[in-house]
Amino acid sequence: MKKSGQVASVFFFILTTMLMSNAWSAQEGTLSTGQVWKDGAEIYTKVCAYCHETNVGPQILNRQLPAVYVRAIVRNGNRAMPPFRASEIDDESLEKLTNFISHKTSQH
Amino acid sequence: MASKYVALPKGVSEKDFDGAISKYREILGDSSVLISAEQLASYTKTMMPVSDTEHAPSAALLATTVEQIQKIVAVCNQYKIPIWTISTGKNLGYGSAAPGERGQVVLDLKRMNRILEVDKDLAFALVEPGVTYQQLYDYIKEHKLGLWLSMPAPSAIAGPTGNTLDRGVGYTPYGEHFLFACGMEVVLANGEVLRTGMGSMPNSNTWQVFKWGYGPYLDGIFTQSNYGIVTKFGFWLMPEPPAFKPFVIQYEHEEDIVEIVETIRPLRINGVIPNAVVIAHALYEAPVKAKRSDYVSGPGSIPDEAVYRIMKDHKLGIWNVYAALYGTQEQIDVNWKIVTQAFSQSGKAKILTEKEAADDPAFAYRAKLMCGEMTLTEFSLYNWRGGGGSMWFAPVSQARGSETLKQMALTKQILTKYGLDYSGEFIVGMRDMHHIVDVLYDKTDPEQVKAAYQCFDELLTEFSARGYGTYRVNTAFMDKVAETYGPVQRSVHKTLKKALDPNGILAPGKSGIR
Ligand SMILES: Cc1cc2nc3c(=O)[nH]c(=O)nc-3n(C[C@H](O)[C@H](O)[C@H](O)COP(=O)(O)OP(=O)(O)OC[C@H]3O[C@@H](n4cnc5c(N)ncnc54)[C@H](O)[C@@H]3O)c2cc1C
Ligand code: HEC
Repeated sequence: MKKSGQVASVFFFILTTMLMSNAWSAQEGTLSTGQVWKDGAEIYTKVCAYCHETNVGPQILNRQLPAVYVRAIVRNGNRAMPPFRASEIDDESLEKLTNFISHKTSQH
Repeated sequence: MASKYVALPKGVSEKDFDGAISKYREILGDSSVLISAEQLASYTKTMMPVSDTEHAPSAALLATTVEQIQKIVAVCNQYKIPIWTISTGKNLGYGSAAPGERGQVVLDLKRMNRILEVDKDLAFALVEPGVTYQQLYDYIKEHKLGLWLSMPAPSAIAGPTGNTLDRGVGYTPYGEHFLFACGMEVVLANGEVLRTGMGSMPNSNTWQVFKWGYGPYLDGIFTQSNYGIVTKFGFWLMPEPPAFKPFVIQYEHEEDIVEIVETIRPLRINGVIPNAVVIAHALYEAPVKAKRSDYVSGPGSIPDEAVYRIMKDHKLGIWNVYAALYGTQEQIDVNWKIVTQAFSQSGKAKILTEKEAADDPAFAYRAKLMCGEMTLTEFSLYNWRGGGGSMWFAPVSQARGSETLKQMALTKQILTKYGLDYSGEFIVGMRDMHHIVDVLYDKTDPEQVKAAYQCFDELLTEFSARGYGTYRVNTAFMDKVAETYGPVQRSVHKTLKKALDPNGILAPGKSGIR
């Protein structure tokens, strides 16, 4: 009984801090940023794959494309390929993504 | 003397710009003030038939809070620096993430990307500008909210704030996006923060449920405009219906568009078909399935004969009408009967549902768009010619068959003169249609760049001469389109601009307003 009460109050604590940190009416400065990419695979699935696994763009996995090349194409775009800004895919995440693409040898 | 900047804002000296940049750095930190050519490349590539240098930014600022933006506009007023705001920055075919004029500073709000509220019961969302449809989609799924998004075809990588502020469209019953917008927070040029509608009232909890507030309705003046910087955006979401039935109706002759529109209009106005129907020409759908070079080579528009071969080979109509029914199964059954009866009368229509067409890639992506599922398949359009040139020609038409046929014929005639293809569709509102034509050309071929520019210019001239107005246009043609709406509207726009932004710091040139 006691235990579950503790759990409940801890849960309540987490919930209220969560709500507080989500409350947009609170001081803007104290708020964390919204979305952060988890890893290269997530970016690939939620951005690149929509074009690169549907015949819109060429296949880019399993080709050992050099990381520098992939990075350059992502940042500059090329002909029909739109560029992606550092505000969309930050440098660190892009590094993870290019690693993912360069080293991915087989998936499907 | 070589400048350390890619470009400078019009009329601003390098010394003054140095001063402004160092203040932006104080506000945002060094890493959020971008000035090198390498950092600015992703803000410079456009699909328009002009040199990208004409739209090169001088800098990009990555702000994340309202306070930062207030401080930024203060610096802009001090140094008379123009800033061009983007949210998710994927205005592809309308100017991309590049500013309207060379030298403007891009204010990039992509990193201001918190989902502030999604209310399951009242079915609304309040988001910051950098939130993408993908992010919101994931949030709704994760929290099992049972709500659907309405998105433009670039779904995953675009976002509700930028799309709605440019008055974009989607394909569900909530497809006319600005109709479903409810409440904005706007940083004005003088640094004041306005919450529109009910948001102006302290402690109100009706900001996202009642659009009008009290007094003149203001939200509209912040769309397709340069009167403020939108920092929060509220809009309504559609509750996931118990059942959904997408379908496509194919026709074989271009003139059949008259019958199509006459059949659809009452179904739309009476609400039998609730979503923004698309009437897509074969050449809009073909790129998902075929390559242009498999059918034609050399200069000139694709001949009708080749289009008919594509239709045969890839099971397309010359017109492909995509629509859907939503509701309980019983409601859908009743409405399906009405729809099939209406379309079966002439014997010209071929009606297909998921049963027959689920594996068809064109049908599959259209069905996704009509139920708010992520897809970027429509970007196949860019492979039609290749070379990354694209401008959306977007005149408005009455939902009347004779009108649509006239607009199509005129568009095709002008495109043909310049050797370009008619990749067109009509997006059916209730009483209007957005006639949407992707003017595709190879941006790596200087001849085609020239032809595309002249062609687009002529399309605007000829359409406006006949009283057909354009609903939205790329940043190279904003003044031209503004001119077609006459001097009185232009002068009212200018009066508002002077009152709200006397130093002209916010996106001068947007919609021809400066
Ligand atoms: C293949 C393809 C299909 C497309 N299909 C569609 C479609 O179905 N429907 C459609 O509508 N569009 C379509 N588009 C065009 C475009 O890509 C989308 O409209 C897209 O949503 C716009 O980009 P965005 O959402 O990132 O907005 P942004 O690029 O962020 O914003 C667009 C403009 O709005 C203004 N703006 C943005 N944020 C602010 C702010 N915070 N304050 C003040 N002003 C602001 C600026 O002028 C900015 O340039 C398509 C493009 C392509 C390439
Ligand atoms: C909107 C569709 C689209 C998206 C999203 C997209 N790409 Fe592309 N990409 C293309 C197209 C189209 C091409 C071919 C461009 C051309 O040559 O005209 C391409 C080309 C490329 C190339 C060059 C391939 C080669 O064979 O040389 C790379 C590398 C690349 N993309 C990486 C990426 C990465 C990484 C992502 C995700 C961050 C991504 N793309 C997202 C459409 C897309």
